[in-house]
Amino acid sequence: MSLSTHNLSVGYHDKAIVKDVSLIIPDGKIVALLGPNGCGKSTLLKAMSRILSPMEGEIHWQGKNLLTEPSRYLATQLALLPQTQPIPEGIKVKDLVAYGRSPYTGFWGRLTTDDNKVIQDAMDKVGVAELAEQLVSELSGGQRQRVWLAMTLAQDTPYLLLDEPTTYMDLSHQVELMELFKTLNDAGKTIVTVLHDINQAARYCDHLIVMKDGEIITQGEPETVLTKDMLKSVFSLNAQIHQDPIAKTPMCVVE
Amino acid sequence: MLNVFKNLPYLGQYFILSFLLCLFAWLSLFSWSIVPITGQQALTALLHPDKNIIAHSIVLDLRLPRVLVAAVVGACLAVAGAIMQGLTRNPLASPSVLGVNAGAALGMATVSTIAPWFGLFGTSVAAIIGGAITWSLVMLLGAAWRGGNEHGRLVLAGVAISALCAALTKAMIILHEDQAAGVLTWLAGSVADARWSHWQQLWPMALVGLLGAFLMSPTLNLLNLGEDNARSLGVKLGWARVICSLLVLLLVGAALSVAGSIAFIGLLVPHMAKSLVGQDHRKVLPIAAIMGALLVMIADVVSRSIIYPIETPAGAILALIGAPFFIYMVRARTS
Amino acid sequence: MRTLFVSFSLFSLLAFLVVLSLSFGAVSLSISEILSGFTPDSEFYFTIHEYRFPRAVLAVLVGAMMALSGALVQGVIRNPLASPDVLGVSQGAGLAAVVLMTLFPSVSIFWLPWAALAGGISAALLLWALCGAHSSAIKLAITGVAMAALYSSAVDFLMLTRPLEINNALLWLTGSLWGRGWDQVFMILPWLVLLPLAFWLAKRMNLISLGDEVATSLGVSIPVTRLSALAIAVGLTASCVAICGPIGFLGLIAPHLARRLVGGRHQILLPCSMVVGMVILLLADLLARTINPPIELPAGIMTAIIGAPYFLWLLLKTR
Repeated sequence: MSLSTHNLSVGYHDKAIVKDVSLIIPDGKIVALLGPNGCGKSTLLKAMSRILSPMEGEIHWQGKNLLTEPSRYLATQLALLPQTQPIPEGIKVKDLVAYGRSPYTGFWGRLTTDDNKVIQDAMDKVGVAELAEQLVSELSGGQRQRVWLAMTLAQDTPYLLLDEPTTYMDLSHQVELMELFKTLNDAGKTIVTVLHDINQAARYCDHLIVMKDGEIITQGEPETVLTKDMLKSVFSLNAQIHQDPIAKTPMCVVE
Repeated sequence: MLNVFKNLPYLGQYFILSFLLCLFAWLSLFSWSIVPITGQQALTALLHPDKNIIAHSIVLDLRLPRVLVAAVVGACLAVAGAIMQGLTRNPLASPSVLGVNAGAALGMATVSTIAPWFGLFGTSVAAIIGGAITWSLVMLLGAAWRGGNEHGRLVLAGVAISALCAALTKAMIILHEDQAAGVLTWLAGSVADARWSHWQQLWPMALVGLLGAFLMSPTLNLLNLGEDNARSLGVKLGWARVICSLLVLLLVGAALSVAGSIAFIGLLVPHMAKSLVGQDHRKVLPIAAIMGALLVMIADVVSRSIIYPIETPAGAILALIGAPFFIYMVRARTS
Repeated sequence: MRTLFVSFSLFSLLAFLVVLSLSFGAVSLSISEILSGFTPDSEFYFTIHEYRFPRAVLAVLVGAMMALSGALVQGVIRNPLASPDVLGVSQGAGLAAVVLMTLFPSVSIFWLPWAALAGGISAALLLWALCGAHSSAIKLAITGVAMAALYSSAVDFLMLTRPLEINNALLWLTGSLWGRGWDQVFMILPWLVLLPLAFWLAKRMNLISLGDEVATSLGVSIPVTRLSALAIAVGLTASCVAICGPIGFLGLIAPHLARRLVGGRHQILLPCSMVVGMVILLLADLLARTINPPIELPAGIMTAIIGAPYFLWLLLKTR
C-alpha cells in the first residue's frame, strides 16, 4: 500500500468535488480512473500528486502523510502528466525531457552521463528521439503530448499519474501508448491514469476505479466492474457487455 | 438609495439624471467665482442678459461655454467608451486605456512643437489623426485575435502603445522646451479655458457623433452576442466596425481637441450606466451620455474649488478618481 | 557551439559600444586619448574618468540588472508580454520621487534615490497584498498595469498643481543617465548581491515554465519560487529606477532578444539577457546624447522608441 487516501475531501474554492474518499491504489498495476465528466477523477489525481491540498482527510505515501514528506523526495516517487500543459518558449525537446531529471540534479541542473542515458531512453520509448533538436513550440499537439510523456518518464518514478494521456493522439499512437504502459508495468511501475474510453480501460488496465459525483462507486478487475447495471447507473447508458474477440477482455456496446 | 433608483422605470431614471445635470450646470455657473455671483444672478443672466453687469458677462462669456463644453465633452467620451467596449467586447476598453488619448497627445504635441503656426485648428486635426492611428493599430491587433477572450492582451497592447506615444511626446517636450507648459496642460485635460469658439468647434462634431452612436446601438447589441452570431443575424461586421470606429474617433477627437486628454470617463461611465439599466445599448448610450456630462461637470466644479483660487485641471481629478476604479474593474473581471 | 558564437559576438559588440560611448560626446576622443584619460595628469582625465567612464559603467550595470529583472518576471508570470514595468514598480518609484521633489523641495537631492527605492518596494508590496500569493499571472500583470495608471495619474496631478519643478521631474521620470557619476555607481553596487541569488533560481525557473502542476510534481514549491523571483526582480528594478529613473521596455525586450538567441533554458538565458540589456542601454544612451547635441534626450525615451514597436510586433506574433 504505497499510495492511499483516507476520508479525503478535496476541491476548489471551498467546494468539495471529491467527497470522503478512502482508497488504496494497488501496487504494481495499471489503474484506470473512470467516470462521467465532473465526477472528480481529475481532482482526485491532482490531490494524489499534491497539486491540490486536502480539505479534509489525508493522503499517504508509504504510510506517511504526503504533505509532510520532502517535496524533492516525492518528486522521485510520483510523477504527474497533467491534462493540459503550457507551451514553453524557446525550449528544445531534449531540454524539456531533461527537465524531468531535475529532482536528481544539483542546483545548476547539470546532467551526468546516467541522466543523459535515462533521457535518451525515455525519448526512445515514446518515439520522440528524432525530434530531440526541435523546439517544443513547433510540434503538433500529439507530438507535444508524447514529449511531455517522455519528460514524465525521465523523472523515473515508481508511480506514474496521468490525466487523460491519450488526448490529442491519433488512434495508432493511443494504442502504442497503452502498449507502453504494459511494458512499463512489466518493469515494475504502477500507473494511475484517467481515461475516457471505457473499452480502452477494460482492455489494457488491471484495475478500474469508477467514480460518480465525487464518490467511488465500484472498483476491481474489468470483468467484475464492467456490468450492464454499472453502465446504466453511472453513465446513464443502455449497453451490452460482450467479450472482446481478440483480447478476451469485456467490452461494452451501446444499444 | 441606489437600489430605489435602480428600481425606477427607465424614464424616471432619465428624468432624475437630467434634473441633476441641470442642477449642477446652474451650480457651476455661479460657484467659486472671484467676482461673487449669486445663483439668482446666474439665472437672470441667462434669461435677461445685461452686458453692463460684470456678473452677467462672466456667466455668459466664461461660465456658460465652460459648462456646455464640459457637459458635451463628458457625453462624447462616455458614449465613445461604451461603443469601444461594445465593439471589442472588452470591459476594459476605453479611449485612455487603449492608447487613443496618448496618440492624440502625440499628434498634438508634434504639431504644437514643430509647427506651432498651425494654431488651434491644426493641433485639433493632429490630435484626431494621432488618435486615429493608435486606434487603428489597436483594432488591427484586436482583429488579429478575434473574439473577446484576450482581454488582458488587448489592454497590454494599449498600454504599450500609450507608453510609446508618451515617450515620443516627452521627447518632443524636452527638445522644444518653450512649448512644454502648454502641452502639459493639454495632457492633463481641462475645460477651464473653454470659450464660445471652442463650443462652435465642438457641437457639430458631437451632434453627428452622438446621433450616429444612438443609431448604431441596436447593432452593438447584436455584436454583444459574438461575431459569428452577429453575422448570422445579418450584421455586416466590416461595415459595423468601420462605422463604429469612425464614430469613436469623431467623438474622442471632438472632446480631446477642446478639453485635452481627459482619462477614465470612457472606462468608468459605461459601467455605471450598465449597472443601472442593464446591457441594452439603446438604453445604455443615452444614460451614459448624461452621466458622463454630469461627471465632467462635477469634476470641473471640484477642480475650481480644491485649491481655490488656483484651478487644478479637471482631467487630473478624474484620473485620480478613475484609476482606483480601473483597479477595481481589473480585480472584478479577471479571475 | 551556437551559444559560444552568440556570447562571443555579444561581448565584442559590448566592448565596441563601451569604446564608442567613451569616445563620443561634446568632444570626440581618439582611442589613445581615451586610454590617457585614465591617468590623473591627462587633460582628458575629467571627461573620461569623472564623466564618461562612470556613465558607461552605470549603463552596463543598470542594463544588466533591468534585463535580469525582466527575465525573472517573464519566467515567473509565464507570459512573454510581462515585464517589471507592468508590476507598477517603476511608476511607484516615480511617484515617491515626485512627491519628494514637489512637496518637500527643501530636502536634499541625496534622498531622492532612497525615496524612489522605498516607493518601488512599497508598490510591489501593495500589488502583492491586492493579488495575494495564489492569483493567476495575467491578473497580477493587469492589476500591476492598473496600479501603474494610478501612480502616473497621481504624478500628473502633483506636477500640474506644483509646476515649478516640472522640468527636473520630467527629466528624471523618463529615465536618464545624464549627470550620473561614481556616487551613483557605488550606490548601485550593493544590489549586485541579488545576481547570484537570481542564478540560484535558474533551475527552478525552468521547471516553472512547464506549468504549476508539472513543476510541483517535479518537487518545486511554486509560491516560494514565485515570491523569491519577484522579490529579486523588484529589488533590481527599484534600485535601478532609484538611480536612473524608469527606463521603459528594457526589461521587456532584452530577455526576449536573448531567448531568440540562446533559447529558454534559464541557466543560459539569464546571463545572456544581462549582456543584451547592457548592449541595448549603452546603445540607447549613445543615441540619446548624439542625436541632437547639445540637447540630451533621456535614454528611457530611446529604449521606449526601440522597445515599443518590438513589443507590438511580439503581440501580433504570439497567439
